Amino acid sequence: MKPRIAITHGEPAGIGPELVAKLLSEPDLADLADVVLIGDPHVFALGRQQAGADWQMRPVDPDQPADWWAGDGFPLLALETIAPAEVQLAAVSAAGGRASLRGLDRAVDLTTDGIVDGVLFGPFNKTSLHLGGMDVEDEHRYIAKYLGFTGYHSEINMLDELITTRVTSHIALRDVVANINQDKVIAAVQLANDTLKATGMERPRIGVAALNPHAGDAGNFGTEEIDILAPAVKRASEMQIDVNGPWPSDTVFLRARDGLLDAVVTMYHDQGQIAMKLMGFERGVTIAAGLPIPVATPAHGTAFDIAG
Amino acid sequence: MGEPAGIGGEILLKAWASEGASLPLLFVIDDKHRLQKIADNLGLNIELTDYSADSAAWADRPEALRVVHSPLACHQPPGILVPENAKAVVASISRAVEMTQTGKAAGVVTNPIQKSALYQAGFPYPGHTEFLASLSDPAPVPVMMLACDQLRVVPVTIHLSLRDALTALSTDRIIEQTQITARALKRDFGIDNPHLAIAGLNPHAGEEGSMGTEEQTIIAPAIQALQQSGLNVSGPHPPDTLFSARARQTYDVAICMYHDQALIPIKTLDFDGGVNITLGLDFIRTSPDHGTALDIAGSGQASERSLVAAIRMAARMAAHRHNSKEPGND
Repeated sequence: MKPRIAITHGEPAGIGPELVAKLLSEPDLADLADVVLIGDPHVFALGRQQAGADWQMRPVDPDQPADWWAGDGFPLLALETIAPAEVQLAAVSAAGGRASLRGLDRAVDLTTDGIVDGVLFGPFNKTSLHLGGMDVEDEHRYIAKYLGFTGYHSEINMLDELITTRVTSHIALRDVVANINQDKVIAAVQLANDTLKATGMERPRIGVAALNPHAGDAGNFGTEEIDILAPAVKRASEMQIDVNGPWPSDTVFLRARDGLLDAVVTMYHDQGQIAMKLMGFERGVTIAAGLPIPVATPAHGTAFDIAG
Repeated sequence: MGEPAGIGGEILLKAWASEGASLPLLFVIDDKHRLQKIADNLGLNIELTDYSADSAAWADRPEALRVVHSPLACHQPPGILVPENAKAVVASISRAVEMTQTGKAAGVVTNPIQKSALYQAGFPYPGHTEFLASLSDPAPVPVMMLACDQLRVVPVTIHLSLRDALTALSTDRIIEQTQITARALKRDFGIDNPHLAIAGLNPHAGEEGSMGTEEQTIIAPAIQALQQSGLNVSGPHPPDTLFSARARQTYDVAICMYHDQALIPIKTLDFDGGVNITLGLDFIRTSPDHGTALDIAGSGQASERSLVAAIRMAARMAAHRHNSKEPGND
């Protein structure tokens, strides 16, 4: 059976509505998934106009989900989260943040109710989200809080078939070294392993990136590889995970590109992001991994400079 | 020559066999018997001949590879380090530099060396680059640049642990490395008004100090000072978007804060076509951007691409320097 995916437009002032409109114009979308649009009809219509697309929406009865996928046009669960006059292209606003969050809430509800299988949201603007009432660091933590989920979860970056997880994320490079320990490395390895297994892969191959140049060059340029990373890799492989490393971080992504790895565990934000953005800036996907429900979004932001 | 146990000899001979006629005028400082043996083992039909200073006469036999014979002390099997031969390795480097000083060569291309082998033989320098700098008086500050067709990068901290790199990073260091780079871009690359893009250190370049403050305390003051000195410098740029195709159109070199920030993009863009260049020396110096690869030495598997790129780069740089009006050109 095809998966059912709830799609929200994300920040109305950014490129999200336009991208959703272009996605809905993709001829093979119908083979991949049954979708339901969640959000304000005028925002989806704005995106359709921006994209020059001509598909149709069909408002559905929130109480009759069994009927949603019968009929022409894309089913639309209409919300009223933002007035048309409040949509100011390329501007940060509380209204835009609220619209982003209410659409997300509804999409998450549908997933936990079992009506859809997962959520795809258009890009958010972090400042708008905060103005709109988000009281945690980012949308991933917001979803976890909304779900009442307290377990380990983390942002995963995906490019085509390759994923990366991070041991540290949005912190200063200076704080990275102090925040790397065996347990955190193993958690990131497990997250990569569990995420890929959830997609049906039997035995994902996971490579761990080193922290230091040349993977420390046998201790000449740092000892974290010897003291932390190698023992963590050993412990993780004792848990029946196909994991190897630590690999020098300037070549680990080439191993992945050559098809030798399905996932790379990185030690810090830019270690993964520099390579992933270079290998395919326009094909990157961000996954809110570790949460009880599947949630994904494009790897880029709202691109206010080209919105509209 | 480089490390005789490594792949230097075979990539040189492969380069000559595949591209010889189209390569810039070059000669080799190596043990000619060793080269002959490698050529025979790989089945390469290469004519070796003794170097002569009169390069105009080389045109009579363009297919012959000129060799300045620099004899090894003893038999050298591939993949196995022979400490007795370390002296010959160092001698070939000194000889090459000396030939630039006497006007016999316009630049030096070095094959990879094995530092551990040289240390055992009493080599007192941390690496190739420091040794090369010591051959000029006074010894200049060398700057490492890596270049491929799509990108040039300069890491301002190099072979240090990430922890030590963070400590070593300073405003003065960024200024010095950037100034040397700017001068080299003018003099050796023919770029009149180079644009130097300075990377941030932290994710999203610190995002106004919320993820690290070095952008504000160390990098921005360096940028300001460099701009005041008249250089076309920008930054600090978020590191993960600085290397995109669109961003690369806007600058001539990315000045990077640590080793992997520079190496990840260059290796991802061009794994075996990258060239390592030492800026700031009195002579042109390039080398292939890989090591001695002892594990595959002798098998003929090693790619000559990076060495070929290093040879062509040295020739282009030498031509620019020859034509340059920059100070220091005498």
